[in-house]
Amino acid sequence: MSTKVGFLHSLIRPEEKLLIKEFESRPGVELIMVDDRKLAFNLGQDRFPFDVVIERCINHSRALHALRLFECAGIKCVNTSKVATICGDKILTSIALEEHKVPQPEVRIAFTEDSTIKAIEAMGYPVVLKPAVGSWGRLLSKINDRDAAETILEHKVTLGSYHHSIFYAQKYIDKEGRDIRSFVIGDECIAAIYRVSDHWITNTALGGKAQNCPLTNELKDLSVRAAKAVGGGVVAIDIFETDHGPQVNEVNYTMEFRNSIATTGVDIPKLIVDYVLRVAKG
Amino acid sequence: MAECPVCGGTVNLGEDTVEGELIPCGECGSELEVTSIDPVTLAEAPKEEEDWGE
Repeated sequence: MSTKVGFLHSLIRPEEKLLIKEFESRPGVELIMVDDRKLAFNLGQDRFPFDVVIERCINHSRALHALRLFECAGIKCVNTSKVATICGDKILTSIALEEHKVPQPEVRIAFTEDSTIKAIEAMGYPVVLKPAVGSWGRLLSKINDRDAAETILEHKVTLGSYHHSIFYAQKYIDKEGRDIRSFVIGDECIAAIYRVSDHWITNTALGGKAQNCPLTNELKDLSVRAAKAVGGGVVAIDIFETDHGPQVNEVNYTMEFRNSIATTGVDIPKLIVDYVLRVAKG
Repeated sequence: MAECPVCGGTVNLGEDTVEGELIPCGECGSELEVTSIDPVTLAEAPKEEEDWGE
């Protein structure tokens, strides 16, 4: 009997294409493409012909809700809606890391301009103001002084939608030109890269260059602990190297890996597919 | 082969192209989505939205 895999997607990026090829190379696997733009759920009535769904949407909000709806219909999902909920929100991620004693940079959360200014100044400049929901390094603001803080907060309140007035401020970490992105599948940290950039934002989406990062026991342990804190599965951990040891910056649940396969020599799509098929078999 | 909906240039597609795939137009650089395979149709890719990411 074949294993039926629902592949939840919208646009097909290089990562999705690599995963599709890997699934299609496996005997006994039937891949069913599910475009989130064509989905309509009938709550309580849906019966889906999958054993498992792998989520590869580009929109966080669609991924989150589709996963929960598939789970409601009894379908196993990679990742789970719990993981998507936590990783899709930097505040919830920081809470999960704190509750699991995973080291992270100092964080303050506040809801008004005045309280945020006070929180930032209690922490000390510079800080990085981040939207709770967002990715690829977009709309990050490095705030070096009070003038900049007042200006950016006013702009966010005036020009942004309501969720831009939930302020997440993280102590700025001088990364000295690089941070670490590690990849965790299940209980194992499988690979890591340095993301190298002259810019303070090192995301590869913004031009950061990938270099192989040797896996140390410390890095593997921290990565797996961070993954477990958010609920496990297939995740990528962003890590800062600091004077106080490595600290987890963010956890990504629909991870991109196109720049990391050749860099690390690890067949990431193969390992993801192995994991999804293990989940399908329960 | 297909026609770029932005510049009218020729876009070459690999045999393993799939529906929904993002491809760049080699002539104008526009990001395109393969909206159908048989027959091949292309559309300008959707603009990035606030909750896009990984």
